[in-house]
Amino acid sequence: MNQLRAELLKIRSTRTTIGLLVGLIALALLFTILTCTLTPVSQLTTEQDQISLLSFGSIAGVFAALAGIMLFTSEYRFGTIRPTSLFNPNRNRLFTSKITAGVLSGLVFGVIGEGLVFSIGLMILKIRGIPTLMTGANMTELIVGAIIGTALWGAIGVAVGAIVPNQVGAVISLLAWGFVVENLVFGFLPKVGRFLPVHASDSMMGPVENKLLSGVAGTAAVVAWALVLAIAGLALLKRRDVS
Amino acid sequence: MPYVVQGQSLSKRYGGVLAVDDLTFAIEAGTITGFLGPNGAGKSTTLRMLLGLAKPTSGHAKVFGSPYDQLETPALRIGAVLEATDFHPGRSGRDHLRTLSRAVGLPDARVDEVLSLVELQDASRRRVKGYSLGMRQRLGLAAALLGNPDLLVLDEPANGLDPEGVRWLRDFLRDFASGGRTVLISSHVLAEVAQTVDQVLIINHGRLVAESTLEELTARVGAVVRVQSPELDQLADALQRAGIVATRTNDHALLAQGTTRERVGDVAHAAGLAIYELLTEGSSLEEVFLDLTSGEAP
Repeated sequence: MNQLRAELLKIRSTRTTIGLLVGLIALALLFTILTCTLTPVSQLTTEQDQISLLSFGSIAGVFAALAGIMLFTSEYRFGTIRPTSLFNPNRNRLFTSKITAGVLSGLVFGVIGEGLVFSIGLMILKIRGIPTLMTGANMTELIVGAIIGTALWGAIGVAVGAIVPNQVGAVISLLAWGFVVENLVFGFLPKVGRFLPVHASDSMMGPVENKLLSGVAGTAAVVAWALVLAIAGLALLKRRDVS
Repeated sequence: MPYVVQGQSLSKRYGGVLAVDDLTFAIEAGTITGFLGPNGAGKSTTLRMLLGLAKPTSGHAKVFGSPYDQLETPALRIGAVLEATDFHPGRSGRDHLRTLSRAVGLPDARVDEVLSLVELQDASRRRVKGYSLGMRQRLGLAAALLGNPDLLVLDEPANGLDPEGVRWLRDFLRDFASGGRTVLISSHVLAEVAQTVDQVLIINHGRLVAESTLEELTARVGAVVRVQSPELDQLADALQRAGIVATRTNDHALLAQGTTRERVGDVAHAAGLAIYELLTEGSSLEEVFLDLTSGEAP
């Protein structure tokens, strides 16, 4: 618990995470205001249309993963891994604390991201006189799925940072995977691609477009990815010397 | 007395390079030990093994009788500074210390205490990127002192410090050790620590080449003791009778070869001669050090 408190203070005491949060808020506001204002009414007449529009909050997952990456890579980049390891030589405890901190910060990103998109999106639709077609159950699945998915991306980010301690390398790896590799795999082999983490976390938000897994299966897939990456990250952390 | 720091047949190999080679040494409580060797001799690697940051390829590294990572909250017994740059530049000095103190359950009040101890309280809420090198060194020291440790391990702490900073550090370490606590301080320049340490461990190419007090070291290799006296001729005779070769300098002093200050002082005292100056010449100490560490890799 002490180490977790230390990790949460690390997040709060630099401008990095705040910067990511500001970036998320700006992007969520820009996208939601533009799309909800400019999308023709004819394209918002089905529940599926509205779900697609309001699921943009899941972009918070990218920011949560980047914040998670920073939890480890900043330590290596600035050398604080040395005092951190001296004060907590138990690598299991250190890793668990960072993963937990990554999940908690991911939850905050998820609540803010999805909360902004949902509340402002619905408000704009209401102002435009477009009736909300989503059922309460689907709304709940979308919001809860997006928030939990974002929290899991926080954990994935921490694990990626432990695997690739070089900050630039880790960020590029994550973005290249999410925006290029997964889309290519999904494009050519959708039956495989639907199990990959970005598409699996998309399916956590309920009946969005291109949904290929159920919400439960999608959640299980993302949890499995987070676990596999965490196990690999912990193994490397324990094996590597701190130079 | 149990040893505070111990290396037992300690070796570390990085690929084809043997950075530390079968190193065995022990340090007793209450001493200030200089851990010396040229750059690349294996000092930092040895310290990292002692502190649980690097795993020995073979052998054992122990502090207070156990491997570092098996001690219960080691930061409360051992303080260490390995690099002067181990800070997030965007975090304030105080917050840096708070992230560490929280990890071991220490209150913020202790953070303020150590900040005051290293005279950084006024700058503590500023971001570290605005700190001078001397301030960063002191912040590192503050982190090491958080747990009120009995052993302080410092890797090249005087690197980049101005003379005032070096003096501050020397006084600080003397004060720290005066209460029976132990200091292990590495350096690649013997003169930098010669006025601070009681004993030295010297390594070269990962191997121990000397483990002794400074006096033993200078006597062993033949150091030069400079002595001034109002009765220089009589002193030169007394030294000669004692089998010590002494030569006269242009500024009316004698340089006694291959001996120690204690020995010269005793000879002068026995002869009833006054002494105005008695010191081991720094340059000769450095020569001793260079002599010991100039060997080729085995």
